[in-house]
Amino acid sequence: MAIVESQNLSKIYSTGVFRRSLIPALDGVSISVDQGEIFGLLGPNGAGKTTFVKILLGIVFPTGGTANVLGQPLGPHEVRTQIGYLPESHRYPSFLTAHDTLIFFGRLHGIRNPVLGDRATALLSQVGLSEWARVKVKKFSKGMLQRLGLAQAMLNDPQVLFLDEPTDGVDPVGRKEIRDILTSLRRQGKTIFLNSHMLSEVEEISDRVAILNKGRLLRVGTVHEMTSNQHEYEIRLAVPPSESILSGVRSLCRHLDNEQSLLRVTVNARKDLQQILDFLRKQDCEIESFSPRKSKLEDYFIKVITQGQE
Amino acid sequence: MKSLWLVYLTIREALFKGTLLFFFVVSNIIILFFLLALSSSTENGITSLTILGNQISPRGIPDFNPAEFILLQLFNTATFWVLIFGIFATAGLIPSMLEKGTIDLYLSKPLSRSQILIARSAGACVGIGMNLLYFAVAIWLIVGIKTGVWHHQFLLASLMTLPIFFFYYSIVTLTGLITRSTGFSIMFALIFWAFTSAIGNREMLLYPWWDNVVYHRALDAAFYATPQISLMIESAGRLIGNDIMTLANVPKPVFSILPFLYSALSAALLYSLSALYFSRRDY
Repeated sequence: MAIVESQNLSKIYSTGVFRRSLIPALDGVSISVDQGEIFGLLGPNGAGKTTFVKILLGIVFPTGGTANVLGQPLGPHEVRTQIGYLPESHRYPSFLTAHDTLIFFGRLHGIRNPVLGDRATALLSQVGLSEWARVKVKKFSKGMLQRLGLAQAMLNDPQVLFLDEPTDGVDPVGRKEIRDILTSLRRQGKTIFLNSHMLSEVEEISDRVAILNKGRLLRVGTVHEMTSNQHEYEIRLAVPPSESILSGVRSLCRHLDNEQSLLRVTVNARKDLQQILDFLRKQDCEIESFSPRKSKLEDYFIKVITQGQE
Repeated sequence: MKSLWLVYLTIREALFKGTLLFFFVVSNIIILFFLLALSSSTENGITSLTILGNQISPRGIPDFNPAEFILLQLFNTATFWVLIFGIFATAGLIPSMLEKGTIDLYLSKPLSRSQILIARSAGACVGIGMNLLYFAVAIWLIVGIKTGVWHHQFLLASLMTLPIFFFYYSIVTLTGLITRSTGFSIMFALIFWAFTSAIGNREMLLYPWWDNVVYHRALDAAFYATPQISLMIESAGRLIGNDIMTLANVPKPVFSILPFLYSALSAALLYSLSALYFSRRDY
């Protein structure tokens, strides 16, 4: 079941009072996110990621296209009782304590005591802010504010969470804790829509990823699809091969790279790999391992963005 | 109910910013001054009042009531300063709500944009109202205890300052939404007050400038389309009594609800325009 769905969503901002200029932010973006998915939205600065999320939340109005969240069209605010949102730059009333902040935003969701008080305490503990519950928010570091923001987004036990750079400013231990929270939410069937620059993190926890650039959707797919390279393999030998062995391998493949005992081969078909392995065995080369070559999501992202610009 | 929490937070924010607190401190200084400086004495059945030892004398005016005189002067002065201080204390609440990071959080909650806007404006007015009520009741008690004159109309007139502020705040709300600037909102609100005072007295002040029917009707239209701040203050003051200048010469003017009705309508229009503007903007 699609929890978030957009069809040809477009947004053009107009700026200036006397000389109006039009800035396209989204250009016909169609995305569908299923229940229980962690969906990563990637893109360079100004790609339209935040605009896309803000349209889904009713903070920004689209110029074209349609979208549904939890089966509801954009517009009615009631649907937001089941949505959690952590904005990219969030500002909480600095005179409130962390606990009071959660109570206040819980009230805006219509949650009542004693449920609200218990939930606020539990969430502060979950994000590691128990000891800071009675401290005013103005004393919080950026990382602590992110944790508080995440607790705020989870306060109403939402069906879908929109998180814009949730680990921004958080230390490595904190980032790991946040990743654990997100995967635990996925296990509970929650849908998570993640905007992030931290590609390694998105790669680690996302089921599917979309890449946006200059408002256009360039790719959508699973992380596996984006990071595995067809017909590229890595073969690790026990000892570095001789030059004659390397030329033999080279004659059997399309492309060969080697670093000491590691061979990276690109073949035309899978059967060519078998021929290479047979050849190596015949040459008495001890094969330690072989596997399809995987690239990092970051490499794929840069490749897609660069191609898009060309 | 959800909106009430937004009203509550707005009051706390205004208190935190210190301007409302300053307002409270000034109120206390005035209250303390009257508590210490006001005294009364009765001679030959005539009650006279003194402030810091200076007698408020009848000056030969019949029906002169010194307590009423003090309350009216206090009401006029206090209302002026409540509006001025009130605008300074609360004009920033709309622009601060629109700041990036704050507005995103509010708009992502299950509240309509109109609810958010009205709750914010109401929060500003309730904050001012609480201060006003405290000040009015304290002054009423001091004058009542010291003179034996329990002037209930003073309390009523003071309470009427609250709708006056709420109507006046409609212009601050609209300006704050459009410009997102506290300074500009304050400046515009003060100019607006001067403008409404001028068109309130348009027959004397503005008609003579140009003897043209269209011009006169345009001024009339502007008068009815905007909150009539000065006329409301004047009318509410009549609940207390007559101004000293008019006491001896003219028949006692009566309180009129009309400025309040016209102002309520124009404030409703301004708040509706604000809500419409707010509901169509991207944040």
